[in-house]
Amino acid sequence: MQNILVSLNEATRTVNSGSNKVTLLDNINFNVEEGEFISLMGPSGSGKSTLLNCIGMLDNFTGGGYTFLGEPVHSMKEKNRSKLYKEYIGFVFQAYHLIDELTVYENIETPLLYKNVKSSERKAMVADMLDRFNIVGKKDLFPIQLSGGQQQLVGIARALIGQPKLILADEPTGNLNSKQSEEIMELFAQLNKEGVTIIQATHSESNAAYGSRIINLLDGKIV
Amino acid sequence: MILNYIKIAFRTLRKNKGYSFLNIFGLAIGITCASLIFLWVEDELSFDSEFEKQDQVYYVPTHQEYDGEWRTFNSTPGPFAEAMKTEIPGIVKASRTKHRDLLFSVNDNAINSGGRFVDEDFITIFSLKFVEGNAKEAFNNPEAIVITQETAEQLYGKNAKAIGKVLKVDNTENYLISGVIENLPKNVTFPINWIAPFERWSGDKEWTNGYGSFFADTFVELSPEADFNDVDAQVRGLLEKKTGDSDSKAFLHSIKDWHLRAHFENGKQVGGRIDSVRLFTIIALIILLIACINFMNLSTARSEKRANEVGVRKAMGSGRTRLIFQFISEALILAFIASLVSVLFLFVLLPQFNLLIEKDLVLGLSQPFHIVFLLGITLVCGIIAGLYPAFYLSSFKPVEVLKGLKVTHGSANYIRKGLVVGQFTISIVFIICTILVYQQLQHIKNRDLGFDKDQLISLNVNGTMIQKFDVIKQDLIQTGAVSSVGLNNSGILNGGNNGSNLTWTGGTNTEDVLIFFRYISSDFLETAGMELVEGRGFYENMAKDSTSVLITESFAKLMGQGSAIGKKIDRGDVYTVVGVVKDYLFDDMYGQSDPVMFFNYHGEASYMYLKTNPKIGTSDVLSKIEAVMKKHNPAFPFEYSFVDDAFNAKFKSEQLVGKLSQLFALLAILISCLGLFGLAAYTAEQRSKEIGVRKVLGASVSGIVKLLSKDFLKLVGLAIVIAIPVAWYVMDNWLGNYAYRIEINGWIFVIAGIVAIVIAMVTVSFQAIKAAIANPVDSLKTE
Ligand SMILES: Nc1ncnc2c1ncn2[C@@H]1O[C@H](COP(=O)(O)OP(=O)(O)O)[C@@H](O)[C@H]1O
Ligand SMILES: [Mg+2]
Repeated sequence: MQNILVSLNEATRTVNSGSNKVTLLDNINFNVEEGEFISLMGPSGSGKSTLLNCIGMLDNFTGGGYTFLGEPVHSMKEKNRSKLYKEYIGFVFQAYHLIDELTVYENIETPLLYKNVKSSERKAMVADMLDRFNIVGKKDLFPIQLSGGQQQLVGIARALIGQPKLILADEPTGNLNSKQSEEIMELFAQLNKEGVTIIQATHSESNAAYGSRIINLLDGKIV
Repeated sequence: MILNYIKIAFRTLRKNKGYSFLNIFGLAIGITCASLIFLWVEDELSFDSEFEKQDQVYYVPTHQEYDGEWRTFNSTPGPFAEAMKTEIPGIVKASRTKHRDLLFSVNDNAINSGGRFVDEDFITIFSLKFVEGNAKEAFNNPEAIVITQETAEQLYGKNAKAIGKVLKVDNTENYLISGVIENLPKNVTFPINWIAPFERWSGDKEWTNGYGSFFADTFVELSPEADFNDVDAQVRGLLEKKTGDSDSKAFLHSIKDWHLRAHFENGKQVGGRIDSVRLFTIIALIILLIACINFMNLSTARSEKRANEVGVRKAMGSGRTRLIFQFISEALILAFIASLVSVLFLFVLLPQFNLLIEKDLVLGLSQPFHIVFLLGITLVCGIIAGLYPAFYLSSFKPVEVLKGLKVTHGSANYIRKGLVVGQFTISIVFIICTILVYQQLQHIKNRDLGFDKDQLISLNVNGTMIQKFDVIKQDLIQTGAVSSVGLNNSGILNGGNNGSNLTWTGGTNTEDVLIFFRYISSDFLETAGMELVEGRGFYENMAKDSTSVLITESFAKLMGQGSAIGKKIDRGDVYTVVGVVKDYLFDDMYGQSDPVMFFNYHGEASYMYLKTNPKIGTSDVLSKIEAVMKKHNPAFPFEYSFVDDAFNAKFKSEQLVGKLSQLFALLAILISCLGLFGLAAYTAEQRSKEIGVRKVLGASVSGIVKLLSKDFLKLVGLAIVIAIPVAWYVMDNWLGNYAYRIEINGWIFVIAGIVAIVIAMVTVSFQAIKAAIANPVDSLKTE
């Protein structure tokens, strides 16, 4: 049997807006097995980002159960939770969110700093990553000197450098043209083949098709 | 990691040049200011601190009671030193001293040199170090004199031996140089260039041997085991034991207090220069605080720009502590750059500052203490300035900022506004204080003194000036440069000779009032511009006035109703009042005019006063006077002083407060404006889209400027409201120190308020106008 990475059991997310209780995610049930490539689909405002953030532990479910690698996340202390996602999760954002003041090299290196990886090791790992994404020549450039596609490549490299088990990508190609989108999607497919579990949010049918499974969201519910 | 922070910090600085400039410049000004003040404070605190026996050496002043009030004097009777030493076990050394200026001449080289006639104990009390001769034998010869190295160099040149030489003093006497001592430290309360045995001065003066005259500066050394309170109590009782009078009490004044705590009021120590030291230390800290506030404001105002970075870093696994650490290290780096800049400023400004405060401070960056202190200031500033932004910025939730939600400012906004209000409150308080200090100084300087201090020159009497007074006077007036010449036994601005227990017609015979005595030549009153309100002045022939006196109005008042002319005053001898002189001020320029009694006798005058002709230029006047003095008193160098200079010198500490408060008010405002400028720039930037939309919809430039300036002006308005009572309270307290003072006038607050508003308006509107006239299309396109 495959390892279950993420397991959601009647997970909900509500917010209090004024006196109203607004439900952003309603009764979400699904498992993610290691090696899957899941596409979350749904119109804008359907809750894709919220779900990804909750899975990525940047945000919390307010109800139901969430276990990650068999550990119940909802009953964890903040500290252990952050240790967990530092260890196992990498993020890719629609707006890339590279740090403007850092070079390509330094951006990729940053997660390693927070993991207290030794300097010599860091060098090797970053060099590896630059090599793999063919951006060695760009390592001393700053984000604004790159095209959108290149920036997203750096974003993905940065997400991968910590060797996460799970990559969460929120509309990773939302700001790219179709050719660039295709390249990124190819890359995801390739990574997935190498064993990385991926959950991506998208509203493009063609992008969703790269995934092994599609989950449709509408108004915070799986449909 | 640290390296990563430093890198980021520098890149952020470079990328936001304007912001970095405002921050660094503001902080550098703050650190410069504080450093200048702390250098001054260090100098003040260093007085007398290099003498070895800090816990054992005391000066002995006396409190004396007149009319129910205790006044404090610097003098003790001649035999008192010896009495303390023999009768009080805790006192192991004691020395009478008398300060004198002596004229030393070696061949053609003559210098006027201040020093003291002292008892031998003086040498050990102050641990004087001999470079030639030794302490044991220095005073063996009654003709001995010990001079400092500096004096020896002035007289004999560098590296020449001075010991054993015979020194001509005042052109009449010979002293034998029995030793050369190291120069005293730069900052001492009682500087000396020489010491000589006390008897050389007191020898023929019978009155120095009794308890009747208070004239000596007395120093004592306590044994290390002695209990101060016990010894002090015995010293306080000793005068009464000797004289039977309970209205004079000598007491011990510690060497540590000579410079800083030397004000006495009604027999109690009430501060002194320490008050200024405290005041300026507080001002230094406040200015640093203002500079730090700038930093906080500008960094939190920029939070939008940093928010994204915070979100990403948190998503990459950074904990909050690391972010706090990162932001604080950024602040520290900035503070460090600022302190380097401030060192540059200090190099440039210290000479000017020295001129201003009339000191000789040095930066002394080779002193580890100074370096450590500067680093300390830098560190504290960096942490104070960085702490709040660090906590604020690191509190952002990654989900929110990464979703691109606007950072909700809420509390930060209020804090920022509060800080601006705080800065401006301080600045406005400074403005008000500056105006009031200036007014008070002018008020006192313009006070009717009862005499005319302008065009009045004072010469020290020496040599043959008294014997030849008549010819000197004649020749001086003949030059046309001088209109009148008078002699006086004491300086016109000084307290000088005084006594009590006189009786007079109209009195009660139990008078306990301190009367000041002046022995003058007949034309002194005219020279000084004093006004005779009743009766006659003195005759030129002093013999004809041997039993007549002039008194001042306040003395006449003591004698009761009716004209004072013809009334008698008994001071051992009986005198008749022949004239009444308008009250005049001396000694304490803030106080009342004390009663004065003038005698027509100039045989022992110490000062010669010359009223000069205002139509002739100063240098011309001086050279003419010098020529006359050289002719009649050739042995002495021509030295003079202007009474109005001496008058101004009496306000040194007030003047210092005045000058410095002007300087610091200016800087506080400058720093605050830098901050406001930055804030206005960010507000304009934040609202650029809104401004664009409004313009497209038809808003006018002036409407937009108003929109952007309004909020800031409200803050300044609030600052004014807070500053007024604070300034009123502070200044009312300060003015309370002065008997002769201004009333605080309401319009000063109005002026300070207007000044603050105008300055703030200029600062803000610059940014507002820039934003308002920008092309709306540019700002709308960027989204
Ligand atoms: N903190 C919040 N408070 C209230 N509403 C929120 C909050 N966060 C998200 N929402 C709302 O939840 C819905 C889902 O948002 P999101 O997950 O961003 O959708 P998607 O990524 O699918 O476009 C949206 O309607 C959004 O307005
Ligand atoms: Mg979304």
